[in-house]
Amino acid sequence: MDGFKTRLSRSLQFRLSLWLSLVILAMAVPAGVYSFYSAFHEANDLQDDQLRQVAALVLSRDLPPATPDRRATGKMKDDESKVIVQILAPAQNAGADDTSLRLPADLPDGIQTVKVGHVPWRLFVKPTASGQRLAVGQQTEVRDEIARDSGLRTVMPFMVLIPILIALVSIMVRGMLHPIARLSQEVDRRDDQDIRPLDEQHVADEIRPLIGSINRLLRRVADNMDAQRRFLADAAHELRSPLTALSLQAENLAATDLSPASKARLLPLRQGLNRSKALLEQLLTLARSQNTGAPQASQVTQVSLQAVLRRVVEDSLPLAQANQIDIGVEADTEVTLAAQEVDIVALIRNLIDNAIRYTPPGGNVEVRLHAQPGLVSIEVEDSGPGIREAERERVFDPFYRVPGSDQDGSGLGLSIVKSIVARLHGKIELRHARSDAPYGLKIIIRLPA
Amino acid sequence: MRVLLVEDDRMIGDAVQMALRDASHAVDWVHDGTAALSAAASESYDVMLLDLGLPQQDGFAVLRQLRQHSNSLPVLIVTARDAVEDRIGGLDLGADDYVIKPFEMGELLARMRAVVRRKAGNANPVMSNGSLFLDPSTREVTVDGIATRLSAREFSLLHALLLRPGAILSRQELEDRIYGWNEEVESNAVEFLIHSIRKKLGAASIKNVRGLGWMVSKQD
Repeated sequence: MDGFKTRLSRSLQFRLSLWLSLVILAMAVPAGVYSFYSAFHEANDLQDDQLRQVAALVLSRDLPPATPDRRATGKMKDDESKVIVQILAPAQNAGADDTSLRLPADLPDGIQTVKVGHVPWRLFVKPTASGQRLAVGQQTEVRDEIARDSGLRTVMPFMVLIPILIALVSIMVRGMLHPIARLSQEVDRRDDQDIRPLDEQHVADEIRPLIGSINRLLRRVADNMDAQRRFLADAAHELRSPLTALSLQAENLAATDLSPASKARLLPLRQGLNRSKALLEQLLTLARSQNTGAPQASQVTQVSLQAVLRRVVEDSLPLAQANQIDIGVEADTEVTLAAQEVDIVALIRNLIDNAIRYTPPGGNVEVRLHAQPGLVSIEVEDSGPGIREAERERVFDPFYRVPGSDQDGSGLGLSIVKSIVARLHGKIELRHARSDAPYGLKIIIRLPA
Repeated sequence: MRVLLVEDDRMIGDAVQMALRDASHAVDWVHDGTAALSAAASESYDVMLLDLGLPQQDGFAVLRQLRQHSNSLPVLIVTARDAVEDRIGGLDLGADDYVIKPFEMGELLARMRAVVRRKAGNANPVMSNGSLFLDPSTREVTVDGIATRLSAREFSLLHALLLRPGAILSRQELEDRIYGWNEEVESNAVEFLIHSIRKKLGAASIKNVRGLGWMVSKQD
């Protein structure tokens, strides 16, 4: 019942169908009842007329007043539908025929309903020319049954048509509301960065104001997101100068004659500064990669993934070699992609950095590039601990680190990867490097070429 | 050398000035574009370190006017602006190099030296990554004080790698450097040459990165 109430209050379609059906029923039931009774009465009147006509026929032809032949009527399935014709007699002499009714002799002339025994009869009594009185009658029950049949026949179309009408109303209501369902599907299908306005042209006039409001809201959201992105970029930018000054001061300090103890304390300070610088760069990259605006055509070129990979590996090689991590690349042919080079560099740099960072010393990192018609895939596989299934959604959140990992990365790497892949309309898949053991991470990125 | 430092940020200016003085350079520090132009016009410097985000006239304006007055003072842009357009704009206006904040002082000093050297036209003929020294005039390579002569192709290959120590060159790129346009490229030629260089200079002299190519490591 609660479910019904919820549907009633929530679903416009359900409400509309329900109320239209109720209105149809409210109209149809009285109409049906009225037509039933009018047909019923009309049938009764008709039967009364029949009795009169039978009487007139008997009198004009002077036929013997007898019940129709039993043998003839006996074949009829329903021999109670018979019409009796008999002379009312003061005594029972006229009733020698055992089929005749025991009718009181003092019945008044005209149409009337009389109980004979316990059975009600409808009788028409008329005096004959010879002074006798003729009674023509029929059982009320039989008459009523015939009248009921005729009444039901008039109601029958209503009974058949009402369910069809209700079904049609439901279908029509659903059809009318289909644009709304389609709209919500369209909104559901969008990814979370997609805040383009909805199509206002091809919708019904009644829905357009709603879409207009949604679009205005989307615009405000977009402005808001832009402001946030700009703030992030500006903040990171503004931090550059003081951080530069700080790290230069630390370098200057390192260049002076320091006691061994001071030197030992300066080292972590400079490492901390380097980490801050790295974080700042990642923040700027993230802000840039989240910029949803279409890139200027002049900045989109055919980027060679091998060339980018080479540059990235050149930069990461010192870290990899320090940890004895073997980096290998597999690519069948030259793989290129139309994109902004800065995006591809940031994408591949973060993939490789991540892989090197989370691979224990002595491990290896494999990079595979494949080009198929319309699709470019980048696969990075490492021999690190991998990411458990439960963590695979969350690792893309900014600053999220897998519990238990002691890496001093910025926590932005995979967020950057995700934003860039979204910008390039691609897909990311995370899995373990081997299907049989929870070991290693394999990131597969598929980009439409 | 004598350096004109144009920087409006006090902290960075202080730090750079101190580092440059530690490196035995003479430093004049100005805080805005107008002062930079008048200093460049009246004094003779070896290099200008130019910040782009300056009050009154920004770095681009300073650079434009400097070049309009036919002043060929080497200019190294030092800025927090890392957009590609900014870099291209700066270099097109006649900057000699570009350093992005935050930077390491060591890198800035190295780039200053390179800019000045290029300007003087006496690029150091001996190429080195810190442990290998290659003299293009004699095709002699020196490792740990021991000199070895290289064949013409071995020299071309090592020369290509030493142009940018730490950079990975693909097989195709190396073949392009070793062979002329009309020469038939033999298969495995690159591996063969690298094998013979390693035999002369030690196995660690040229490093292979699987699937990408070869490099000589960069030693700081």
